[in-house]
Amino acid sequence: MNKTDLLFYLGVFLFCSGLLMVFTKKNAIMILMGIELMLNAANLNLVAFNQSTPGLDGQLFALFIIIVAVCEAAVGIAILLKAYRFYQTVVPDQFRDLHEKL
Amino acid sequence: MGLNNQLDSIYESLGYVWPELILTFSILVVLTTGLIFKEKSHVTFVLSGIALAVALIPVLITWPQQPVSLFSNMLRVDDFAAFFKVLFLIGGLLTLTITGKKKEAAEFHLLILAVVLGACLLVMSMNFVMVLLALELISLSSYLLVGFSFDRKSAEGSLKYFLFGTVATAVMIYGLSLLYGLAGTLDFSSSPFIDSLMRTQSPLLLVSCLLILAGFLFKMAAVPLHLWAPDVYEAAPTAVVAFLSVVPKLAGMAVLIKLVLSFYLFGQSVYLWPEMIAAVSIASILVGNLSALVQTNPKRMLAYSSVAQSGFMLVGLTTLQLEGIHFAIFYGAIFLLMNFLVFAVLTYYEKHGDINSVNSLSGLGRLSWFPAFSMLIGMVALTGLPPTAGFTAKLLIFSSLWSSYQETHSMILIALFLVGLLNTVVSLFFYLKIPYFLFIKEAPVGVTIKSSGFSNLLHLVLVIALIYLFLQPDLLMGWINRITFVL
Repeated sequence: MNKTDLLFYLGVFLFCSGLLMVFTKKNAIMILMGIELMLNAANLNLVAFNQSTPGLDGQLFALFIIIVAVCEAAVGIAILLKAYRFYQTVVPDQFRDLHEKL
Repeated sequence: MGLNNQLDSIYESLGYVWPELILTFSILVVLTTGLIFKEKSHVTFVLSGIALAVALIPVLITWPQQPVSLFSNMLRVDDFAAFFKVLFLIGGLLTLTITGKKKEAAEFHLLILAVVLGACLLVMSMNFVMVLLALELISLSSYLLVGFSFDRKSAEGSLKYFLFGTVATAVMIYGLSLLYGLAGTLDFSSSPFIDSLMRTQSPLLLVSCLLILAGFLFKMAAVPLHLWAPDVYEAAPTAVVAFLSVVPKLAGMAVLIKLVLSFYLFGQSVYLWPEMIAAVSIASILVGNLSALVQTNPKRMLAYSSVAQSGFMLVGLTTLQLEGIHFAIFYGAIFLLMNFLVFAVLTYYEKHGDINSVNSLSGLGRLSWFPAFSMLIGMVALTGLPPTAGFTAKLLIFSSLWSSYQETHSMILIALFLVGLLNTVVSLFFYLKIPYFLFIKEAPVGVTIKSSGFSNLLHLVLVIALIYLFLQPDLLMGWINRITFVL
């Protein structure tokens, strides 16, 4: 098994554990961490695949993804703080003002 | 290529992106004036209105636009992008006009401008890096816009939108990274990209394409990624709902068209793209219309209606032929008009009391007939009945679907055709519920309604546009027919 394959499988593992965290964790902060794992899986892929392709596209894309992730976290935590002020919790399951009224 | 040449080419490219430069500059201006004139919300309102109107000018005077690649093939200006830019800028202007007095007005106007800027960049993107950055500009601004009622509900809606949205984006980014590994390039219009997709036929390719499309289906609120729509639409300020149900949706559709065309490889792809899109479209139409039937909150109902409308827009894309895509774009333009008409009337009623249930609209049409009449026209257009352009748009996309069926004899296309036609009947029940309450029910005693000349004028313009385009669809189709796709 060469190095690219190894990194690819590591990426798959990271992505799946991130997705699993998103689906199973109750706390919004933990969901955000799961999302970060998924983004890092993509970064690993990009850097690994860049070794076999000309140019630096993949690595530059990875840099942009890091920036995007930072912006997302900043906006997300601002929204979370706002919600915390109203509900005194960061567990999305306990936010019950919006749902189907049948 | 030397550094000097690169700088020269960047400098040349700047001459083609005037609308974006104007929007970027005005975002900075709105930010600073917002800090100076904290209490006067009309200053930033006027500034951002002027910015959107001025940004329309360079798009319109360069029409028809020869395709030009900019910034070393990151962006491309062409008629396709120009047409969508006109729609986004008009959408932004209409949103500003239907927004009443707002808290934190400067930030609100700034975020609207940012979403429009992101949408304009997104339709020009030719590279996945640019697609991602433009999409994130739209997403991050719209997460914040949802929270602009500053109450419990909108905080919850904003958080839900954020969580769903970031997961969809993360999944899309992972798909992009896989596709980069398979194709070896991020430029999805280039011939190396197409060539390597032709050679690769691994299932991983299908997985990565589907992961990428998930991100855009989320923006369009198409099934199965529509779950956020009802909660967000209920929580967000009505003007923001009008904006979010049109601008990001059309931007998502535009990129979806480009990407699916390039994944389809001019019909050489082994995967059944038309069938897959038809399946999404059938599911969106069914889920949207059937869930809308049982809603009592007008905003929730319109959320499900917008899910169904995404399904109808995708019908045009199912054919994967130029004509069908032209009709889908036409549908998108008409959708902008009819959706804004309905939401403009809703914001007008919202000024007189809350609109959390259809009951609270009872009898308002008897007190002042014109807004209610505009609402009726808007709803008739969304249903797809004459004498409105909504009928023309539905007729065109279904005629292109029928001709595509005659060529391929694919079962799923005829299923889509039948589902679409039957759902027009289903949708009649919930679309006409609001006009029914407005006109037939008695108003509670003591309710009064002030007529406003400005909003009546706005309703009148949109009603006339919808009826005029029913009589003269060629006016708009003439523009759309110039759009070609050279990949």
